[in-house]
Amino acid sequence: MHGLDFPTDENVLVGKGTADDAGVYRVSDELALIQTVDFFTPIVDDPYDFGRVAAANALSDVYAMGGVPKTAMNIVAWPVETMGLEPLKAMLAGGAEKVREAGAVLLGGHSVEDEEPKYGLSVTGYVHPQKIWKNQGLREGDRLILTKGIGTGILNTAIKGGLASQAEVKMVTETMATLNAAAAEVVRAFDVSACTDVTGFGLLGHLGEMVEGKCRVELETAAVPILAGTYDYAAMGLVPVGAHRNRDFRQWMVKGLAGFDPILRDILFDPQTSGGLLFGCRAGDAAEVVARLHDAGLEDSAVIGTVCSDDAGITLC
Amino acid sequence: MASVDARGLTCPAPVLRAREVVEKEAPGSIEVIVDNAAAVENVSRFLGSRGYAVSDTAEGNLFRVLGTLEGEEPLSAVKPVAAKVIEGDAKVLVLIMSDRMGTGDDELGRKLMVSYVKTLNEMGPSLWQLIFVNGGVRLTCKDSPVLEEIKGYEKAGTIVLSCGTCMEFLGLTANKGVGGLTNMLDIVLATENADKVVTFS
Repeated sequence: MHGLDFPTDENVLVGKGTADDAGVYRVSDELALIQTVDFFTPIVDDPYDFGRVAAANALSDVYAMGGVPKTAMNIVAWPVETMGLEPLKAMLAGGAEKVREAGAVLLGGHSVEDEEPKYGLSVTGYVHPQKIWKNQGLREGDRLILTKGIGTGILNTAIKGGLASQAEVKMVTETMATLNAAAAEVVRAFDVSACTDVTGFGLLGHLGEMVEGKCRVELETAAVPILAGTYDYAAMGLVPVGAHRNRDFRQWMVKGLAGFDPILRDILFDPQTSGGLLFGCRAGDAAEVVARLHDAGLEDSAVIGTVCSDDAGITLC
Repeated sequence: MASVDARGLTCPAPVLRAREVVEKEAPGSIEVIVDNAAAVENVSRFLGSRGYAVSDTAEGNLFRVLGTLEGEEPLSAVKPVAAKVIEGDAKVLVLIMSDRMGTGDDELGRKLMVSYVKTLNEMGPSLWQLIFVNGGVRLTCKDSPVLEEIKGYEKAGTIVLSCGTCMEFLGLTANKGVGGLTNMLDIVLATENADKVVTFS
């Protein structure tokens, strides 16, 4: 999108300028529409699970903007001749289950014939124009909280290599298929300064977007929730190409890398699929937010850092 | 020196190819050719984790990663790094070497084995692989009294394999009703990679 010029008007509340998760357009003083789209190639073998994961991933951006999903449409690319209709039906059933769980409705969709299957959704959500959560806006003194463990990129690489156990496959699938609805519900009750969801750029990549030259975050690396098995697979070199790319793109912003454990570094840059919410809240609220997230079933939620204003960038502690 | 050409292979193939060679041959030195920087890092880290001293050189748009074993200890004496699993669920391999359990009475033995295979269900997701050799391959044939149960395990994610040589010897290859075929090398590797091996004859 770099260098392309698009028309805009004064109702665009969030557009492509601020690297946000979705676009937001004001309809009235009380209502703005969130619009987002996401799709990808199979992450897991089971078509039903892939449908669930792809849908959860697409819906996540709406929650990350502080809104609720309302309607969705399927985007499907499918090799009908070679794969047939049964797995396609299972995939769409998985996607429909997640849309239903999100309280939204599927209005239809579009499909094309393709050698390689792809699936996702375009989603419309509602949000109050005054209550949009943007990626930027962290305040000095805020604590940073993450609601899901990281490591899906590395674990999926191990799965692809046939090295993971059944239990690990199940664990990764479930964490990717979990909607950010419950997390958003908890967080909504508090004073949140900025929020995003952790996906393809990895924890450090998305944190970099939140920081973008405006503040400094001290990341307590020992407190970052990491999915079981991730460290050992990363230690074996099962690190996806995306993690290297994320590092190349963002490491200029990160201090404390010299002498830092390279395995942990790769995990912090590991591209996530359908990751958790990453947000800033008031220091005094942090403990209660985490307690409520745990009560809501998001057991990996943790405070992972503090926002400072003395410099810009991310310091690994 | 062992050489692996991993050009054109996408992640995680370069690491897996290197791992295959390291585990089968335990070479004193190994060279892996890759075509991207990410693969250099991944392969270097893998070889380092197996005790190799690693260096790499670039040649045009290719990279050579070189691993040399330091010290006297041969790699085969080093236990392979087992993939870490979630607490509680170990990778169990069950090796069934007959279609009956125990000696004394064959009729009873066959009934016991049927019961055992059915009760394997209790292992849940820990049941990583079910391998059948010698008379055990009768249990994966179309007329097996536990065909549906084994199909169920396969559907739930357990790898089901029968020894190809055994099936051929017993003239049963055309009768196989579930799972794939395997060979002695893969059986040895699988028993090495499992957290626990259970055998029955």
